[in-house]
Amino acid sequence: MDSQSQHIEVHKFYAGAVLGICFLALVLQAFLNRFSPRFGILELPLLVVVYFGLSRRNSVIGLVLGTAVGLLQDGISHTPIGLYGIAKGFIGYIASSIGARLDTEHPISRFILMFLFFHIHQVLLALMMRLLLAQHAPFFTVHLLISSLLNSVIGVFLFAGLDRLRKQ
Amino acid sequence: MEVPSRHRPLVLLVAVILAQVLLLAFQIRRDRDVRLIRVWSAELLTPLQRGGTFIVSKADAVWFGYIDLRNVRAENRSLAEQLGDLRLKNQQLQGQAAQAVRLARLLGFRQANADIPMMAAEVIGANADATSRTVFINRGEEDGIRRNMAVITPDGVVGKISEALPHTSQVLLVTDRESGVGTLLAGTRTHGVVKGTGDPLLWMDYVSADEKVPGGEEVLTSGEDRIFPKNLPVGWVASTKAGFPFQTIEVTPSAHLDRLEEVLVLTTEKSLDIHPAPEANSSSQQTSPDAKPRQNVNTVTKAEVPASGTPQQQAAKPAATKAVPAKKVTAPAGTGNPQ
Repeated sequence: MDSQSQHIEVHKFYAGAVLGICFLALVLQAFLNRFSPRFGILELPLLVVVYFGLSRRNSVIGLVLGTAVGLLQDGISHTPIGLYGIAKGFIGYIASSIGARLDTEHPISRFILMFLFFHIHQVLLALMMRLLLAQHAPFFTVHLLISSLLNSVIGVFLFAGLDRLRKQ
Repeated sequence: MEVPSRHRPLVLLVAVILAQVLLLAFQIRRDRDVRLIRVWSAELLTPLQRGGTFIVSKADAVWFGYIDLRNVRAENRSLAEQLGDLRLKNQQLQGQAAQAVRLARLLGFRQANADIPMMAAEVIGANADATSRTVFINRGEEDGIRRNMAVITPDGVVGKISEALPHTSQVLLVTDRESGVGTLLAGTRTHGVVKGTGDPLLWMDYVSADEKVPGGEEVLTSGEDRIFPKNLPVGWVASTKAGFPFQTIEVTPSAHLDRLEEVLVLTTEKSLDIHPAPEANSSSQQTSPDAKPRQNVNTVTKAEVPASGTPQQQAAKPAATKAVPAKKVTAPAGTGNPQ
């Protein structure tokens, strides 16, 4: 495993790019929802957490980044603090772990990974809402499927754009 | 207890998740919010949101205030062009409608006086100097137009042909200084002469100073000038000026001389062949067809002045004023046909 991970390139980004993109994703998520509830189908914070998790390939960084983004998302949402923090922290950790083991540069692999991460994220949210908040939350719906497909497609293009922020 | 380095991330994950689960439990159990995190989140993100809102509002203003207005401007230009075209068409239609009304009036007048030979003509020009009041019409000698023929509209007297050219004719308007028309006041049948002044208003002369002339009284042709048939409207009294032995009466022309477009030329000389009364026949100019219009009018005026204006006649005025039209004019009113 160690020998394999050494062959996988760890990408670094320009100073402030990670934080800036994360903030921008959070702001855009809140901002777009202001104009139309239809933008709620997007999960931009999740997209950037997955992207940076897959790129940095450091599970600690992925965990911290995901948790931070999730907590901030909780902070500006009407959800208990920690709900998105747990879910996104977990996704950041998993994405970093997978990024350290698999080639995540290809658009198809990115699409599939994003699709899976979206549903894992949703399952985690539903579990916590059911177990901790005693609220009903679906694990899977057609709307979620459409949302996951859409976010996966957007992710492919977004990841390609964010690749330009990498240090050469 | 030391955690192996390869397991440290996993331990950290568990710790972070556990901490957040506890945080969630705390919030649920105590029904209290973690205000600090919300404040920090809001403080961190809302400035960006505010900036985004500012940018969007500005972009929105730029879009709707400028970029989107490009289409509005083009649309406005197109609408303005359409409006201009429609205004032009509307003016053309209004002109055609007004022309139709005028022509209908001319036709009605022509039909009402079917026994009078008359010819419709179009005004094609006006005089080139400021002192005379003439217009040109599109009928000339080849159309049968002759000098001194009366030119009228259904509204009233316009003038007379002063020059008959081969294809056009010059009309001396009643407002010209050299113009004169034998007239009478419709109410009292008092005779006088209406003269042009060069101004829009006419003067009616040779009306006795003690004759009471009410304002607004209609002035008609008397037929005594042998140019205009009797009882054609000339105008109406605008004002009177005292004088001796005659008062001067200002008359507003009935015909719209300032906007003439179509006129009628009375092409008969026969209908105007007035049989003068014996006492009025003293002047040979009255019956001379070659006499100048001014002379004609003056002649009639002179013949008529004793009937209504001289001091000697004042005593016998009621009889005279009634007698003059009956004696002098034998043609039926408005027709000019001899009887």
